[in-house]
Amino acid sequence: MRAEGAASFARVWADHRRGLPGWGAALAGITLMYLAFWPMMGADMQAMLDGLPEALIRALGYDRIGTAAGYLEAVIYGLLGPVLLLVYGIGLGGRVIAGQEEDGTLELDLAAPVGRARLYWQRLAAVWTLITALVAITTLAVLVSGPLFGLGVPTVNVLAASLAMWLLVGGFTTIALAVGAATGRRGIGVAAAAGLATLAYVFRSVADAVGVDVLATLSPFAWMLASEPLVNGFDAFGAAKLGLLSVVAAPLGAWRFARRDLMV
Amino acid sequence: MSDTVIVTRGLVKEYGRTRALDGLDLEVRSGEVFGFIGPNGAGKSTTIRVLLDLLRPTAGEARVFGVTPAAGGPALRARIGYLPGELALGGRVSAGEHLHHLASLRGGRGRDAIDTLAERFRLDLARPVRALSKGNKQKVGVIQAFMHEPDLLVLDEPTSGLDPLLQHEFMALVREASARGATVFMSSHVLREVETVADRVAVIRDGTTVDVDSVTGLRRRAGQRVSLRFAEPPDADTAAAIEGVEQVRLDDHTLTCLLHGEPDELLKWAARGRVLSWSARDRDLEDLFLDVYRNRGRNGAEAEHDAR
Ligand SMILES: Nc1ncnc2c1ncn2[C@@H]1O[C@H](COP(=O)(O)OP(=O)(O)OP(=O)(O)O)[C@@H](O)[C@H]1O
Ligand SMILES: [Mg+2]
Repeated sequence: MRAEGAASFARVWADHRRGLPGWGAALAGITLMYLAFWPMMGADMQAMLDGLPEALIRALGYDRIGTAAGYLEAVIYGLLGPVLLLVYGIGLGGRVIAGQEEDGTLELDLAAPVGRARLYWQRLAAVWTLITALVAITTLAVLVSGPLFGLGVPTVNVLAASLAMWLLVGGFTTIALAVGAATGRRGIGVAAAAGLATLAYVFRSVADAVGVDVLATLSPFAWMLASEPLVNGFDAFGAAKLGLLSVVAAPLGAWRFARRDLMV
Repeated sequence: MSDTVIVTRGLVKEYGRTRALDGLDLEVRSGEVFGFIGPNGAGKSTTIRVLLDLLRPTAGEARVFGVTPAAGGPALRARIGYLPGELALGGRVSAGEHLHHLASLRGGRGRDAIDTLAERFRLDLARPVRALSKGNKQKVGVIQAFMHEPDLLVLDEPTSGLDPLLQHEFMALVREASARGATVFMSSHVLREVETVADRVAVIRDGTTVDVDSVTGLRRRAGQRVSLRFAEPPDADTAAAIEGVEQVRLDDHTLTCLLHGEPDELLKWAARGRVLSWSARDRDLEDLFLDVYRNRGRNGAEAEHDAR
């Protein structure tokens, strides 16, 4: 590798590493806080659920909330984890190419003797590294909570769910970056990714509530959770579909980015 | 190696419906300092961004060191130092870290020059880039453009934001680069900023080249302001008939005019009367450009008029 090897990667890391402790603390804190409620759940929870309409309970994914795996899925993997990580990832994905192109701070990098593809892939890799760190922190918080609050979900199942969440968050983050790089507009990248993620979430909730399988087939949230990784462990097919989000979006963004006018 | 560094032929660039460049022709020779002058919106930055392969031409072509910017790619850009017209610096790094980052994008080239140049321009490398004043940001821009001693410097309004002292230092830097054989292409709104360093100048307007000349040539064409005070009121009409004499004005005993070429005829004419005092000074080149700028206004007004 030449000397300039990872300069674009390193720069994104340098610009954003300071945000990691804050986000990491928030994710870990929320995870620990919610899982700390688990021992107190029991009868109260069931009484509360009995008062709610069944469809709503299913839509919220609370139908299995009485089990440890169900509770973990309902609060962390099915909701807070992905939502917080998506907010972080999509914002970052939109920022590191399109956002910086729009505010002009990428101009010198683009005029440097670095190919556009190289710049694109390195920035994408740096974004993945940052999300990976946050997913790892969240996972660690879940694993620590297990024995602490008597959750009893097998480690391997937690890892399986985290892997799926990582692919899901990475996928929408990649979409934000790729669409932004393809259009030169951060807003379009962020809107595309956030819109698709919201749609995916809604599709799964509706599919769960009223049992429309077509919607579940189309929803990355369903690809992540339908196989119940916290109960059944790894789901290779689900992971493959989640991975496909990035594998399709990333090269398309790179292709368009290399061909269009920059800074317009 | 060919001795033209930048060539554009019939270069056209459109942003949607806006035609920013309308068949621009340009030739910059190896080793010269070339001034690229034009009013706001003339297409200077657009041309420059085509040279850096940030923009791709709509029609026509641009070549830098014999290749199109797109074909030249990173290898071509390695030979160029670029200072953007509106430099934006951001991110959570210090000025020094930013410059080191830019050097590492160049495989480390220029890294050793950072400290010396920062000292020369009195830039505090420890300050965060986002908190730098406009002038200090411009210093970062200047340093990164020059640090790797590129063969070609492309500078878009380089002195904007620099105080007179630093402008002076900047001009010295341009002269040094030129002395080691680099080609310098710099844009400006005003000729004054480039006339002390430039060998040749192109004036552009509405995306086309309207004038190219050496600075000495321009100066010759700009002429001299002559003022003569006579004991008795002279005959202004005969003065106006002299070749090379224009804009004759008679104000009581004082005659002023614009003179191009040799003063011989005018002096002989003046000697017929009794001259009490006289002065002749080179006309400010800026005046010449104001003509060009005003022309645009006039043409624009005509076009509007015709449209009705
Ligand atoms: N991104 C863009 N989208 C649409 N039009 C643009 C864009 N950038 C420039 N233009 C237009 O193209 C023309 C040339 O602009 P350019 O920035 O090249 O001029 P300039 O000579 O650098 O002006 P200035 O002296 O103000 O920097 C102008 O009419 C401008 O409005
Ligand atoms: Mg400009």
